[in-house]
Amino acid sequence: MNSFGATVPLLLIVGGALLVFLLEAFLKKENKNYLAYVSLFALIGCGILSAKAWNAGRSYFDGMLRLDNPALFLTFLFLIAVAFVILIGMKYISMQDANHGEFYGLLLLALSGLMIMVSSTNLIVIFLGLEVLSVSSYALAGLKRKDDKSSESAIKYFLMGSFASAFLVFGMAILFGTAQTLDISGLIAFFKTGPDNQVLSLVGFGLVLVGLAFKIAIVPFHMWAPDVYEGAPTPVTAFFSVGPKAAGFAVLIRLLAPYWNAGFGSAKLFAFLWALAALTTLVGSLIALRQKNIKRMLAYSSIANGGYMLIAVLAGDGTALLFFLTTYVFMSIGAFGSLIALTGNGREYNELEDFAGIGFKYPWIGAIFAVFLLSLAGFPPTGGFLAKFYVFVGAVRQGLTSLVLIAVLASLISVYYYLRIVVYMYMREPEREVSIELENPALYLVLFLSLYGVLQLGIFPGNVLYLIKQAVSALF
Amino acid sequence: MNIPILSLITFLPLAGALLLIFLPKENKNLLYGIALSLAVVVFLVSLSLYFGFDAQADGPQFVEKTGWLGFGIQYHLGIDGISLFLVLLTTLLMPIALLSSWSYIQDRIKVYLIFMLILETGIIGVFISLNMFLFYVFWEATLIPMYFLIGIWGGKRRIYATMKFVLFTMLGSLLMLVAIFVLYHLYYKATGTYSLNIFDYYQMLLDPKLQTWLFLAFALAFAIKVPMFPFHTWLPDAHVEAPTAGSVILAAVLLKMGAYGFIRFALPLFPNAVETFLPVLSVLAIIGIIYGGLMALIQKDIKSLVAYSSVSHMGLIMLALFSLNVEGATGAIYQMLNHGLSTGMLFLVVGILYERSHTRLIKDFGGLSKQMPVFSAFFLVALLSSAGLPGLNGFVGEITCFFGIFAANKTFAILSVSTVILAAAYLLWMFERVMHGPITNEKILSYKDVNKREIVYLVPIVVLMFWMGLYPQPFLRKIEPSVARAIAGIKSATKVFVQKPESVPAKFKIPEGSAGIR
Repeated sequence: MNSFGATVPLLLIVGGALLVFLLEAFLKKENKNYLAYVSLFALIGCGILSAKAWNAGRSYFDGMLRLDNPALFLTFLFLIAVAFVILIGMKYISMQDANHGEFYGLLLLALSGLMIMVSSTNLIVIFLGLEVLSVSSYALAGLKRKDDKSSESAIKYFLMGSFASAFLVFGMAILFGTAQTLDISGLIAFFKTGPDNQVLSLVGFGLVLVGLAFKIAIVPFHMWAPDVYEGAPTPVTAFFSVGPKAAGFAVLIRLLAPYWNAGFGSAKLFAFLWALAALTTLVGSLIALRQKNIKRMLAYSSIANGGYMLIAVLAGDGTALLFFLTTYVFMSIGAFGSLIALTGNGREYNELEDFAGIGFKYPWIGAIFAVFLLSLAGFPPTGGFLAKFYVFVGAVRQGLTSLVLIAVLASLISVYYYLRIVVYMYMREPEREVSIELENPALYLVLFLSLYGVLQLGIFPGNVLYLIKQAVSALF
Repeated sequence: MNIPILSLITFLPLAGALLLIFLPKENKNLLYGIALSLAVVVFLVSLSLYFGFDAQADGPQFVEKTGWLGFGIQYHLGIDGISLFLVLLTTLLMPIALLSSWSYIQDRIKVYLIFMLILETGIIGVFISLNMFLFYVFWEATLIPMYFLIGIWGGKRRIYATMKFVLFTMLGSLLMLVAIFVLYHLYYKATGTYSLNIFDYYQMLLDPKLQTWLFLAFALAFAIKVPMFPFHTWLPDAHVEAPTAGSVILAAVLLKMGAYGFIRFALPLFPNAVETFLPVLSVLAIIGIIYGGLMALIQKDIKSLVAYSSVSHMGLIMLALFSLNVEGATGAIYQMLNHGLSTGMLFLVVGILYERSHTRLIKDFGGLSKQMPVFSAFFLVALLSSAGLPGLNGFVGEITCFFGIFAANKTFAILSVSTVILAAAYLLWMFERVMHGPITNEKILSYKDVNKREIVYLVPIVVLMFWMGLYPQPFLRKIEPSVARAIAGIKSATKVFVQKPESVPAKFKIPEGSAGIR
């Protein structure tokens, strides 16, 4: 495959997006579903092409684009996530008066950004991917044009996101000034030799980390997340909770895992990120306790989960991180999908009180949602347990026992707020009138697949672990 | 022929639960019929464990072992004399509990039965797992069904009670999980192979300082479950709010998971820490005995009286276990079975009363024995068994416990005997107020005596109580050799370390400070 051939999967996604935008203009409102099918075709095509590159581990454009196994594994994960988001969104956007074809187009563009981010080890290219992702995300957050909260969330995301991008670019500029390279392996080599201008290099590196920390909502750079998650249309929130996060952490572990041994300032940065990881799990879990809005609560839960992922990064444990991300895709999309299952025409039910008695009124939706919540809380035999298990085992192996203790306490706190939803669903009598739209086969398909994924990953994860092992071998 | 009996009895209930999901929820008899016959089948199958069990053979029996997730995480089952009877207790009480809920649970029967069956799978799994990972999975898996059972079918303060139950247990078990991680890591460091096999860990001798921390994590998890004073506060809440069958399973089997955890994990893995903490734990157990008994005396609600009597009785069991001699530990195991039967039956009896009266307050009753003579006889047997009357099972267990405790520490023995006096006091006083005297509450005149269904599930327990009280040898014969081996393991490990671990090549010594806490 030549360099151009390597970009075909990516071009397929971008082409799909452009096609969606074009067709949008000619389609009647009730036929917008066709756009979803076009997008799904693009995803499937991209998946098939990417599968062919598995285990080839080639790099193109002088190393700017690397289709190695970790990149491909994450690409598959993103493809699944975006396909799920499209499927859970189809009915939702028409019910919530946001039936714009841009939903599909922007999702595909965001996906292309994600793919670029994980398929490169050059910070400039990573930044390009991140910007493609971010700009599409800002627009996606504001998809419900007539909804104030949605617009607020778009503006907030845009302002904070640009701020973070500025940090990132500035840091990269400084790094390039000192190291003369933005390739990750080059940077690590540069750090190992001991740079002349230590302060400047560290400042540059720190700014890059801060920029990334914004994007993946690490405390104290998380302030935007709850508002954006709450205001954005729910399928988009589901996407935000998995896509950008997974890509951000993939970049982070590629950058940091080799850096921990570089010697140059790494002990200090390690301690700094150690504190951030502890803070993220604790703050995310503690604030989630106080939330009455379930979308907002899941936002804080997603922040807390970011903390666990950061622990895997600190331990340099790629297997645990990828397994956690994989599981998180299924349980998070499953949880948001369950929220979508509980929407009516033009109405959403996101308050805790709305969930009273749901478990017996809609037994299937209730039971499936309960499984996702138990998985998020980390109960065996779900994937959530095994994901935390691998992260914590890896961290203990690296001597991070006290951090694991903090994280375990945080997950104890999280048990309370996840189970509180279950309490409302099963142990309280209904208080409010909740009428939901039941006919939504695409959504049920996703819920079922996610349920299957969560259980499969919790009980027989052998095949996935095998793929992850293959992927991780080429991570660094 | 090689039938995996352990897997069968573990997963048959789960399979039944999955089957029930797809059955119509209106057909009460069908649902109950399937669940009940399944539970009975499981019990009958589990009986074959008793007959096939060879008491003299070393090591676990009925072993099933296959790889599962790699890295030492194996599907590894097996039983010894300690777990054998706990499994049998579980499989016996489950059909009884189901039968007792026939009229008590009126709504959402399908979901109820599903959770009961899942609960059975979890509990059996805990007792037969020989892999730490598997053990933890089952340990946590018992939590979810119990959480729903209390939360959905419980009394007024059920949500508070169930959340408290879950959070208390989770706190302990999560800390234990971290301790398991550390053990796992240390084992790998010492030997270069991954293992979560409990027998491999028995071979490991840890630095005493590290043992302290790990032991505390394990002991906390198990002490909460037992529950030992001062971690017992969740128990009265959970018991009072839980439906009858939930209380029965909780008291009879779930609490035993804690004591079982001590003898299987906490004591043998950390012998030096055990030596250090034994006095503290013993004193806590004694406080539990006396405090639980005194609290039981002043309870107004019969169910919470039984709950506090559980705290007191479990205190005695733990004290006997901590005496670390064969008599004490055998007595503790035997008393665990007795406590399962007698307290289980007390909860059943209270449940029968509650179904008729919808109250559990002692002051609402009086003179019941005239109105319900058969019921009164059952109540009396359960009560006397719990109080340790000679001829019934409780006596044999308690006397063996006292022998063990006396051999270990005479002061403790003298203090612990108070459990008999207290139990007689709170139980008989309660019986007198409920059963004798004039009928003050006119509603009592409308109560019917126990019906056939109730007699059917009470009689097996009564028979067992007499059997275990008059002829305990069939049980003790199978328990004692395993207990002797377990105690010998704990003791020899302690001695080995004192004599310099280098001289013992079979054991791995982990050097100091290798926990790697950075």
